[in-house]
Amino acid sequence: MQYLWEGFSTALKLIFTLDSEVINCTLVSLKVSSIAVLLASLVALPLSFVIVINEFRGKRAVITLFDTLMAMPTVVVGLFVFSFISRQGPLGVLGLLFTPAAMIIGQFILSTPLITALSISALQGVDPRVRITALALGARSYYVTLTLMREARFAIVAAIIAGFGRIIGEVGSAMMLGGNIRGYTRTITTAIALETSKGQFSLGLALGIILLIVALSVNIVLRYLQHKTR
Amino acid sequence: MIDTLMANQESPFLEIKEVVHRYNNKKVLDIPCMSFTRGKIYAVVGPNGSGKTTLLTILGLLLKPTSGKVFFEGKDVYAHPHSLHDIRTKMTTVIQNPILFDMSVEKNIEYGLKIRGTTREERKKIVKDCLEMVRLDGFQKRRARELSGGEAQRAAIARAFAIKPQVMFLDEYTSNVDEKSIEVLNDVIATINRLYGSTIFLVTHDTRQAYNLADEVITIFGGMLVQSSMQNLFKGRVTRVNDLSIFDTGKIKLEVVTIKEGIVHAAINPQEIIVSLVPLSSSARNSLYGMITEVFDDGVRILLAVKAGEDFKVKMTRDSFQEMKLTVGSKVYIIFKSTAVEVF
Repeated sequence: MQYLWEGFSTALKLIFTLDSEVINCTLVSLKVSSIAVLLASLVALPLSFVIVINEFRGKRAVITLFDTLMAMPTVVVGLFVFSFISRQGPLGVLGLLFTPAAMIIGQFILSTPLITALSISALQGVDPRVRITALALGARSYYVTLTLMREARFAIVAAIIAGFGRIIGEVGSAMMLGGNIRGYTRTITTAIALETSKGQFSLGLALGIILLIVALSVNIVLRYLQHKTR
Repeated sequence: MIDTLMANQESPFLEIKEVVHRYNNKKVLDIPCMSFTRGKIYAVVGPNGSGKTTLLTILGLLLKPTSGKVFFEGKDVYAHPHSLHDIRTKMTTVIQNPILFDMSVEKNIEYGLKIRGTTREERKKIVKDCLEMVRLDGFQKRRARELSGGEAQRAAIARAFAIKPQVMFLDEYTSNVDEKSIEVLNDVIATINRLYGSTIFLVTHDTRQAYNLADEVITIFGGMLVQSSMQNLFKGRVTRVNDLSIFDTGKIKLEVVTIKEGIVHAAINPQEIIVSLVPLSSSARNSLYGMITEVFDDGVRILLAVKAGEDFKVKMTRDSFQEMKLTVGSKVYIIFKSTAVEVF
């Protein structure tokens, strides 16, 4: 219990004193995960729409594949990307390893299937009458898409939130691809892993609480935006 | 009536030819030829699953038939796919149980206008006019999904009407709607047709409403056009008795002219039925005795519901009706020729 109380009080202290280490980790976490989720959404949303509106052979298999990829272990993704961008890898010359860009690639790969699978489910949940009504009112394909997206907006935002939640809290690929370099690629989660391994449990716990606050704040902002679009 | 439709060459602007549509290899629609003239109100009637909605969806260019051609203003619409969208913007469909988008009523109504590039000021004015027409003025800012069934139906028609379509398709627009809303909607349809010359297609199971509103009533059964009204449609068995074909529903027996035997459908055009207070000796082979259960005046003719074993609908002139002093409860003979019974 002592750890917990210490953790809480340390967390509050770190937050209110605007500890530079904490701020740095938080900013790196936010930057990497936000860019990754944004890129993932840009790919996942159109992809999910294409999958939903088109009938093609193997459609079920594709959907099942995305459902399965949602559970991809972060460390496997880390390893996979590592093998490509390490010095010996085919993309080694780009010098991406242990940079925020590498972390973004890893988190992009982690969140894209999740956002895709949840968006497919969201779009499949839209009443089929919406599409036919939009067409009947003279909408072209892109406008029909926008209309369907708008109808599914709450579930789509939830999918993006889930994608963000998956990557802001992951440590496997961030550690492998970022290298936990202080002030550069150290995120809240990699910092927690480091502090805990050093025996600084209360600091680790404090960072955990901060991570939760960050995740909560992002959720609140997105939910607010969602509410405003009603 | 279908003959009339087919033969009507008064600038047919919408036509279908050799249209067949299948769902899961099952033929649901088979129309050899149909053409429609501008500015008329057409009603499509028929029982559930007869292909009414499929026909409407094909005419509304929301469904490409499995085979056959659809022509709009003489142009084969599927031969020129690039112009399909442009043609589609000239028409609109209000589907059965229409859905309003999850946005305000105002945004719903202006949806089609926005697509057509109408300015904001114009949109606002049109939205107001349309809502006034369906008696929903003041509902602009209301959440569309919070409207009642009747209000939502009216808003859906206002949304369709807002774009002033050349052709408007309405599928079962009175289902799940209160009496008051039906009246409003019927007024609106007549007004749209009168003021803007829009051609209107109504799908309905209410034949009275069909005859009341429409210039032409199209009857469809089992995916095919039926050359008679659905009002006197019966299912029964045809048997040959002494060189005569007798159609038996279990309640009535009719003499018919057909080579078919076994289970069939038979239909009798209400205009082919004669009403008499006394038995008539004539060439007509079928005479049934029954009672008038309903009288409906459509402003031009009188429509009678007569219970004579089965429920019959009969049309007569107002003069004859008044001369015979008919009323609900009057006992009458209904008489028609065996050739008036269409067996299919």
